[in-house]
Amino acid sequence: MSIFSVALTGLNAAQVGILTTNHNIANTSTEGYNRQQIIQSTNTPMFTGAGYIGQGTNVLTVRRIYDQQLNEQVLAASTGAAEMDSYLAQIGQIDNLLADPSAGLTPALSSFFSAVQEMAANPASIPARQGMLSASQALVARFQSIDQRMTEIRSGVNAMVTSEVTAINSYAQQIAEINERIILAQAAGPNQPPNDLLDQRDQLVAELNTKIRATTITQSDGTYSVFIGNGQPLVIGTLPYSMKAVAAPDDPERIVVALTSPNGSSVYMPESMLTGGSLGGLIAFRSQSLDDAQNALGRIALTLAQNFNDQHQLGQDLDGDLGGNYFDTSLMGATIRSNANNVAPAGTVTVAISDYGALTTSDYRLTSNGGGNYTLVRLSDNAVLVNNAALPATIDGMAISVAGGPAANNSYLIQPTRGGATNLALAIGNPRDIAVAAPIRTSAALANTGTGGISAGTVNPSLPLDANLRQTVTITFTSATTYDVTGTGTGLPATGLTYTPGDDITYNGWTIQINGAPAANDVFTIERNSAGVADNRNGVLLGALQTKSTMEGGTANYLSAYSTIVAQIGNKAREVEITGQAQQSLLEQAQSTRDQLSGVNLDEEAANLLRYQQAYQAAAKVISIATTLFDEILALGR
Amino acid sequence: MRISTSMIFDTGVANINKQWSQLLHLQQQVASGRRILTPSDDPVAAARALEVTQSSDILTQYATNQQNATSALGLAETQLTSLNDMFARLKELTVQAGNATLSASDRQSIAFELRARFDELLGLANAADGQGQYLFSGFMGSTKPFAGTVDQLNAVASQEITYDGDDGQRRLQVSATRMLEVSDAGTDVFMRIKNGNGYFATNYAGTNNGSGIIDIGNVTDPAAWNALADKNLSINFTSATTYDIVDSTSTVIASGTYQSGVPIAIPAGGASVIITGAPASGDTFTIEPSSSQSVFKTLANLIGALESGGSSAVESAQYSSEIGFALANFDRANDNILRVRSMIGSRMNELESLDSVNQDLQLQYQQTLSNLQDLDYAKAISDLTRKQTDLQAAQQSFMKISQLSLFNYF
Repeated sequence: MSIFSVALTGLNAAQVGILTTNHNIANTSTEGYNRQQIIQSTNTPMFTGAGYIGQGTNVLTVRRIYDQQLNEQVLAASTGAAEMDSYLAQIGQIDNLLADPSAGLTPALSSFFSAVQEMAANPASIPARQGMLSASQALVARFQSIDQRMTEIRSGVNAMVTSEVTAINSYAQQIAEINERIILAQAAGPNQPPNDLLDQRDQLVAELNTKIRATTITQSDGTYSVFIGNGQPLVIGTLPYSMKAVAAPDDPERIVVALTSPNGSSVYMPESMLTGGSLGGLIAFRSQSLDDAQNALGRIALTLAQNFNDQHQLGQDLDGDLGGNYFDTSLMGATIRSNANNVAPAGTVTVAISDYGALTTSDYRLTSNGGGNYTLVRLSDNAVLVNNAALPATIDGMAISVAGGPAANNSYLIQPTRGGATNLALAIGNPRDIAVAAPIRTSAALANTGTGGISAGTVNPSLPLDANLRQTVTITFTSATTYDVTGTGTGLPATGLTYTPGDDITYNGWTIQINGAPAANDVFTIERNSAGVADNRNGVLLGALQTKSTMEGGTANYLSAYSTIVAQIGNKAREVEITGQAQQSLLEQAQSTRDQLSGVNLDEEAANLLRYQQAYQAAAKVISIATTLFDEILALGR
Repeated sequence: MRISTSMIFDTGVANINKQWSQLLHLQQQVASGRRILTPSDDPVAAARALEVTQSSDILTQYATNQQNATSALGLAETQLTSLNDMFARLKELTVQAGNATLSASDRQSIAFELRARFDELLGLANAADGQGQYLFSGFMGSTKPFAGTVDQLNAVASQEITYDGDDGQRRLQVSATRMLEVSDAGTDVFMRIKNGNGYFATNYAGTNNGSGIIDIGNVTDPAAWNALADKNLSINFTSATTYDIVDSTSTVIASGTYQSGVPIAIPAGGASVIITGAPASGDTFTIEPSSSQSVFKTLANLIGALESGGSSAVESAQYSSEIGFALANFDRANDNILRVRSMIGSRMNELESLDSVNQDLQLQYQQTLSNLQDLDYAKAISDLTRKQTDLQAAQQSFMKISQLSLFNYF
């Protein structure tokens, strides 16, 4: 070997060093780039009599500074942070919507009941009645607009699920392609790692993880296999699987994810498996917060409408007719969705709400087991409420029955409250039709000689009303302690009844009390409240519904039920926000740990640049000296 | 520790971002004056604020209802005050009518004024509020409650004023637990008034030939009177100086010797009546349990007595009895009006105390609401200033650090 060739190895090595440094500098800001380093080694020395003489240097390889474990930490943190980000972006919309001082339900609910009270104070006033109708319209509109907003958010989630799935498919495709190129590269130089390809692939996996939590396994040929959920394959070697966003078979309004294998078969991914990343955030938001909030809103609308109707029907309108429905509840019943995969006989499921106070905000899945037995699962907590038993049954305030003997494995999704808010409508448009008065009135005859007084009377709250409610009934005292009741109605006439002051006397669907000391021949009359336009008894009872605890098994009024939603969503949003912040700092930490190892430091590169430059200059100097030495030899011959 | 160049930029930007978001949040709080911008800021307080707001709204509604109640009661009170004044005049006229020296034309002129008073009374009883709803018609607000004329009432002895309303009492919810009565039915104010002395009413038979005058009687032992089985009694004069007291089955339960002005005791009744003058044999005076007689009927009876006015001894005696009855019945009617007025007065008092309770409660709600959602400005502004300084420091230090590079010296 000559001085020239040894110097040349130095020159070459310094050149590779400068190139690598240059590559690092150029990629300082490249996402996912891991800094590269040359590994230099001495050439095999030459044995001479004087011992081993060094033969210069060579570059063994260019390696990337990379730690698999640190990278995985970053992936785990980033998928968590992305999930919380996407959850927070969605829940923030509801969070703002619900408690908005002007757009939330509270102001509309409040002005509605104010209008009811105002009308009860001026029962004969058409403007006050019109005011109540207008406030009712506003309440209906508010329920519908909040529900509409939630439906928009739901369609937004559907659209985003679809686009996330498209992005995931694209990543799967790209990872499979890079896998293929890595196989080719490895074949060309089995011992030399294709650093930049590896970086690119790691970056794709990192980006995939911001969409959905994915794990990778390195195969012997250097390829990555990518799995999601519980080990469902997304990429196997060079084969990408694809995900599909499709309408759920049991709920066409719900876009879910199915995994399609290369041979074309596809399976639905249960929502519990789709965790992490923005897709996981969307799915979790929909099932944990949106469904619940929309159902809870529907439940308030449903209960309010029903309670109001029930009370309204106990009253009498300005024209003396009995009250009808105030709200139109014909469309507000439970939504029952038959699974698209059901086979004949399909069967018919009927759900009637029997107890509004017992309704939950969950949806339910009813599955036929064949042979007239069914299984009913409450989806909020997966409680099995009917376990392979016969129907009808009354559960959670719903009377569920099935007709037509559905085939085994047919299933039905029952959403008792989902459509409550959107289908709310007003049933009356004429202010005269508001039933503010009570349909009966009572009087004591002027000729009475005793001191007995009769109460104003109340209508018993059981519907339908007794057909004889407004028949004239006369209570005649035959002595100070006994009385007869005459008139038309069940159990009438009744004679020789014993008088106890203050006891309820109930006939024909009304209840009255007589107090004091009536004398013999005293007469009390219960009759139709004709022309009772200034009577507000039913109006006052309608107004009292505002604070009556009719929901959650008689523990909550409408507003407290609503504030429960607000608190739930608020708490969830807060939880997501805080978890998101924690994930974010975890991510920052993991990233900085990784960057400490793998990131490019320009000062370091500047130093390296100087180092290799000087090495190059020195090697060049050696060549120049060698040339001088050679010239010395040549000069000898002159 | 090894630092990569991107870390300097990433960390710097991330920190500045964090500062910005905190600063923005503070700025929004200061700009809106609200501590809770979205429920997630403080879910428990946000939900509680909704409930307190509802309670406060309901209280505001109660305050409105209280005003409505006050104005309705005030209106009724005004009518009843006028009625009270009118009774004073009616009694004055009745006393005047009782003056034995009045000529027939004097009686006519009193009757003439009383007829005018009758119309005024009818007007008061048919009073309506600003929205045309009658005050004293019970639930039947659009129905004019009272109808009738003096002549109609006097045509048949048992004819009462026509009442087209009902017994209903309008109520308003003036607090969470109180439904306040804001109207009184016409029957209660004008009609359900016991005649006579409140226990029984006396009368003379139209066929009496003597000049006996019966007073309204007096009950000294109400328990005994109430316990009396047969309260429909007659005092039959068997001669000018003797009488029998008979019950409704014409059984004689007592007899006595008549002396003008000496109370005649009702056996076991705890009561007595006084007859004055000179009743003739065969004259009958009756005692019946009091029944309701409207103030209209009382007034019409008086007018009838004034207008029928003969001057014979018998007619004078009947006239004197009628004046006595009228005075008693006006007293009872006045008592009834006063009873209603005092009820209205106590309801208005209750409204006033409810109003102050309401205001205290409202203040508490506002306080609670303010504690729940209002911003502590002093703290927020100091926080804002501090954050501003923090952000500036972060920005400046970032600018300084990011400019450091070995390449600067190449």
